[in-house]
Amino acid sequence: MSSAPRYFLPLLIIVALVQSAALFKMVYDKDRLLNTGHEITMPVKPLDPRDLFRGDYVTLGYDVSTLNKSNTPEGRIAELRAGSAAFVTLRPKADGGWTVKDVAPAFPSQVAAGDVVLKGRVGNAWAQADGSEKTVSVRYGIESYFVPEGTGRALENQVRDHKIEAIVAVGSDGTAALKGLVIDGERHVDPPLL
Amino acid sequence: MWASYKKRLTRDLDRWRQNGWVSEEGRAAILADVEASGREFSLPSALGILASVLFGFAAISFVAAHWEEMPRFARLLLLLATIWIGYGVAGWLAARGHRAFADAAILFSAAMFGASIMLISQMYNISGDPADGVLMWWIGALFAGVLLRSNPVLALSLVLVCVWSGMQTLESNEVHWPFLIGWAAVSAAFIWQRWHAGLHLSALALSLFVVSLGYLLDNGHQHALVAILGLVAAGAAIAAEKAAPEHEHVAAPILAYAVAVAFAGLYALQFFENPSLGTLVALAALTLILLLAAISYALATGNRGVLWLGYIGFSLEILSVYWKTVGSILNTSLFFLVAALLVAGLAYMALRLAQRGQGGEAAA
Repeated sequence: MSSAPRYFLPLLIIVALVQSAALFKMVYDKDRLLNTGHEITMPVKPLDPRDLFRGDYVTLGYDVSTLNKSNTPEGRIAELRAGSAAFVTLRPKADGGWTVKDVAPAFPSQVAAGDVVLKGRVGNAWAQADGSEKTVSVRYGIESYFVPEGTGRALENQVRDHKIEAIVAVGSDGTAALKGLVIDGERHVDPPLL
Repeated sequence: MWASYKKRLTRDLDRWRQNGWVSEEGRAAILADVEASGREFSLPSALGILASVLFGFAAISFVAAHWEEMPRFARLLLLLATIWIGYGVAGWLAARGHRAFADAAILFSAAMFGASIMLISQMYNISGDPADGVLMWWIGALFAGVLLRSNPVLALSLVLVCVWSGMQTLESNEVHWPFLIGWAAVSAAFIWQRWHAGLHLSALALSLFVVSLGYLLDNGHQHALVAILGLVAAGAAIAAEKAAPEHEHVAAPILAYAVAVAFAGLYALQFFENPSLGTLVALAALTLILLLAAISYALATGNRGVLWLGYIGFSLEILSVYWKTVGSILNTSLFFLVAALLVAGLAYMALRLAQRGQGGEAAA
């Protein structure tokens, strides 16, 4: 260890190249998903404003964040376990919102035209005391919206009495990415990188 | 520790030289050998590592402060630039023979790689799996550590494997078995590097993982498994020490970690599981006997790690049993009587061992 290994400089360059390529791929994948993914807007559930701004990101909750028999009558909730994948099929409603058509542990074999499949991960699964109704919480990776340092307070005031929707890009495999927010009909979307 | 060994050896060598047991050339050769070999840790390299950590913080706060003013593509380029600068400086330092400082620069770059992952995640509002980011980070750090044969970066990689597993475990509340893959990969790199301090890190990480099994498997009631795994490992370490005394330097530390794991399992069985009084007394007696056995074995073989673990475990066990049984059927005075008898027994054993040691010396 006292002397540098042979070919130290070429190895340094390889390491730097590989790490850069890994970061570049991370950016490229996300950018591609945002650009080419199917764009949907979902209403953000009213949240307690006190909890909304932790540091410099907003925590967003959705109707599909918790699933149970009453909002997912046809879903196979019983098959979902904590930590496993959940594929949620959304069907557009006439008024522009979404209803949960189905939820399953694997990607559905058939997707009707107009339906969107979201891939999530089950956080918690719990049952009522009598064991009748199972409820699961699902995370899709679209629950945090980062805001510039110091602007959280201003946005918090906006959120309190405005209608907020999330713009979500959905890939063909169901991966979701948060593209931006619609605040009172006004789109706030970061420009794509590449 | 190293400096003190060198100082003592120099003093002894001076005396041996005066007595005529070693020649002047021999004395110089021995000191040169000590100087050249086994220098694992020195003040300059430690300061170098610290400096690289501070450079890392400086770079991150600079990037964060100018984050909003920059177009997003420029942010990415800036992050990549910090990584390349670190590796560039490492190459420059290594070319001038400052291998330890080069290691610090490589560590800086590996840290910047992780910071880049986090800042990119933030750029894309990725909240889904922070653990996935750490997974990418430890693989990147392991890659750099192996290719560049850099011990500090390998250590970072092992710490990241633990963070990664910890996050997954917290999320799912289940055992995160892929930990073993990451652990084995980094440990193999440590063995390849023949880096002893790194192997201690590996052993510590594995011990923590085994202890965590007790809290995760079977709704947190598998402490017996932990105790058994620890005892089996301890038995294996003792057997290995007896069968191959030349590998004592490997078996002895393993025994220390195994004793710690076994004690952690037994401790949880007694004090977190609410056993019946009979079971508690039986387990406490077993634990104390095993600890005494560990202490006497450590005294006999000069295993300082096990010795200290034994003393600490013994005190902890006695205090905890006292805590648990205070005001219960087993009354306090009886408890102290038992404890006193045990400690007296220990003292007697220690005396016997010491006498045997002296007898051996006198005979020789």
